[in-house]
Amino acid sequence: MLFLQLLASGIQTGAIYALTAAGFALIFGATRIFHVAHGATFALAGYAFLASSQAGWPWPVGCLLALVAAVAFGLAMDAFVYRPIQRDQGSFFTVFVAAFGMTIVVQSLIELAFGRGFEVVNTSLTMARQVMPGVYLADVFWVAVGVALALFILVTVFLNRTRAGIGLRALSENPELLRAYGLSSRRLSALAFGLGSALVVPGAVLTAMTSGLQPAISAQVMLISLAAAVVGGIGSLHGAALAGLLLGVIENLVISFVDTQWSAAAGFVALFAFILFRPSGLFGRAVVR
Amino acid sequence: MMIDRRTLLASAAIGLGAPRLARAQGAAHVVGTLFPMAGPNAEYGAIYTNAVQLALEHINADKRLKAPIDLRVEDSQGTPQGGAVGMAKLANVERAVYVMLGFTGVAKAAAPIGTRSKIVMVNGGGVGPDLAELSPYFWNVIPLVNQEVPALLPWLQEKNLKRVALIYVDDPLGNGVLQELRNGLPGIGGALVGDYSIPPATQQFAAIAARVRSARPDAVYFASYGAQQSQIIKQLRDNGVSQQILTYSGGGIPSVMALPEAEGLVFTTQAADWTRDDPVTHRFVTDWRAKHNSDPSTYHQNYYNAMRLFALLAEGLEKAGKPVTGETLREEMLRVRSFALVGGNGTFNDRGMLSMPIQINQIRDGRAQKIA
Repeated sequence: MLFLQLLASGIQTGAIYALTAAGFALIFGATRIFHVAHGATFALAGYAFLASSQAGWPWPVGCLLALVAAVAFGLAMDAFVYRPIQRDQGSFFTVFVAAFGMTIVVQSLIELAFGRGFEVVNTSLTMARQVMPGVYLADVFWVAVGVALALFILVTVFLNRTRAGIGLRALSENPELLRAYGLSSRRLSALAFGLGSALVVPGAVLTAMTSGLQPAISAQVMLISLAAAVVGGIGSLHGAALAGLLLGVIENLVISFVDTQWSAAAGFVALFAFILFRPSGLFGRAVVR
Repeated sequence: MMIDRRTLLASAAIGLGAPRLARAQGAAHVVGTLFPMAGPNAEYGAIYTNAVQLALEHINADKRLKAPIDLRVEDSQGTPQGGAVGMAKLANVERAVYVMLGFTGVAKAAAPIGTRSKIVMVNGGGVGPDLAELSPYFWNVIPLVNQEVPALLPWLQEKNLKRVALIYVDDPLGNGVLQELRNGLPGIGGALVGDYSIPPATQQFAAIAARVRSARPDAVYFASYGAQQSQIIKQLRDNGVSQQILTYSGGGIPSVMALPEAEGLVFTTQAADWTRDDPVTHRFVTDWRAKHNSDPSTYHQNYYNAMRLFALLAEGLEKAGKPVTGETLREEMLRVRSFALVGGNGTFNDRGMLSMPIQINQIRDGRAQKIA
């Protein structure tokens, strides 16, 4: 029964990780920008939802507010930070430092607005009930799994069936060819940031309800996103989502065999194993040099 | 307005010479704080700093010292690395003579640096048992966890909470609690039925809650700090752990008290009686309530006391015409030993430990109430 319980906890954690990592992978896959400030997008969305909840507004308004905050921040980062840097031939490290700096700015602003303590949105969705002897499940489990599945189906359909989606996939491959077909790489880049940032919202809202928020949450979010992106195959949205799920399950299941101390480390052992034995990740393409 | 060349040069000369002149006259006592001001433990930094600020206001209002206090702030980030870097800056750049710090890991990293420079370091937040004998220059104004846990054991026996599970951060604090429970529980006919170590950055506890449930304890003790404390409490309750939850003085922070899931949480602290009528306690409590519209916590008490202690020591040295340095502050502490502080007269032993009784508190309606 302990195994079943840990598996269920792992799936719930993994669904949230998958939602978080997918946005990062989508942005990196399309634009090749290492968007370190993705963690800050997550924090902003979570705190926007929290602010709405504290104001007593209904949860759909909170979700909408979180969506607006996340998308606006993603678009602003693209337009006012990354694009000017790229215009001046800025290196990977310039982009990294700029994004990292923005993460610290966002963290400080959150501290000013909400204080430095732990915050959580209280809801009955997170209260687990015994569904069979020794196995407890909360309604938020079904919400996390359902939302993750629905979103991945929608995003997959968008990327495969629509002109903008196909353009997004092509953006990282050959921006010049895109222009020849009359598509704007600038607009597609904005679309990638908007969509990638929007994908973070369900994970942020669910985190605000389950494990709670604190201003420095960005670092943890980025760590998971990065690990999932590497394990899944750099730039692969499906790979990152599957890897996020896998990391959550590993993190939880491993404590039935080893000391609880190693729970978080187990995910990163998996990351190292992938780097050593399958550097292209789950869905990445191997490159011959 | 025109400034001629001679005036400009004279101003520059005064500006350049001013710090040297100030030092020569002993113009200001440089006091440092090394608190976590950013990251998941930043809530503590704000709590500690508020208490230091109130003490400074009182010291200045009383005109207790001839020379002003120059407060220098460094961010420890709650990590040993941050503690070492911050302490090195306070020692070598700021030339602080007295530093207030918190967190066991930070204190252990900072203590050798402070000791080398003969800086008095005062801890009001870290409770790891190792902090008792770090250095002659390292003092504690908070009881350590090897005093807190034994004080809880008779209450556990009385409430028949014999089977205890422990969730602890794998650091000197957590290991100190583990040791105390392992040694102490058999003495009351109890047992440690499970111990689960966690890294300080862990945020997901559903799986640990499952392990705790399967151990079927009567009570769950957790030894953590910062945002992680609230995450542990919430996720234990969310995941079906309904047993009594226990912790040490770290649980007495506003974010824990405000958490609905923390209702009923039992935690130990040093004795804190805000109804005492001695002038120091009365003034502290009255002004705190007026300024913050809430009751102070024991952390506020500790860091107010730490700042006040400096003023009392420096005042004695100034009156005796002695310089205020780490060495003379220590000599003065050993000479006087007993000081009028918030909570009553506090007496230091040779190791710089302030002796204080322990009380047991429970969170009821979002407030800490003494239960034993």
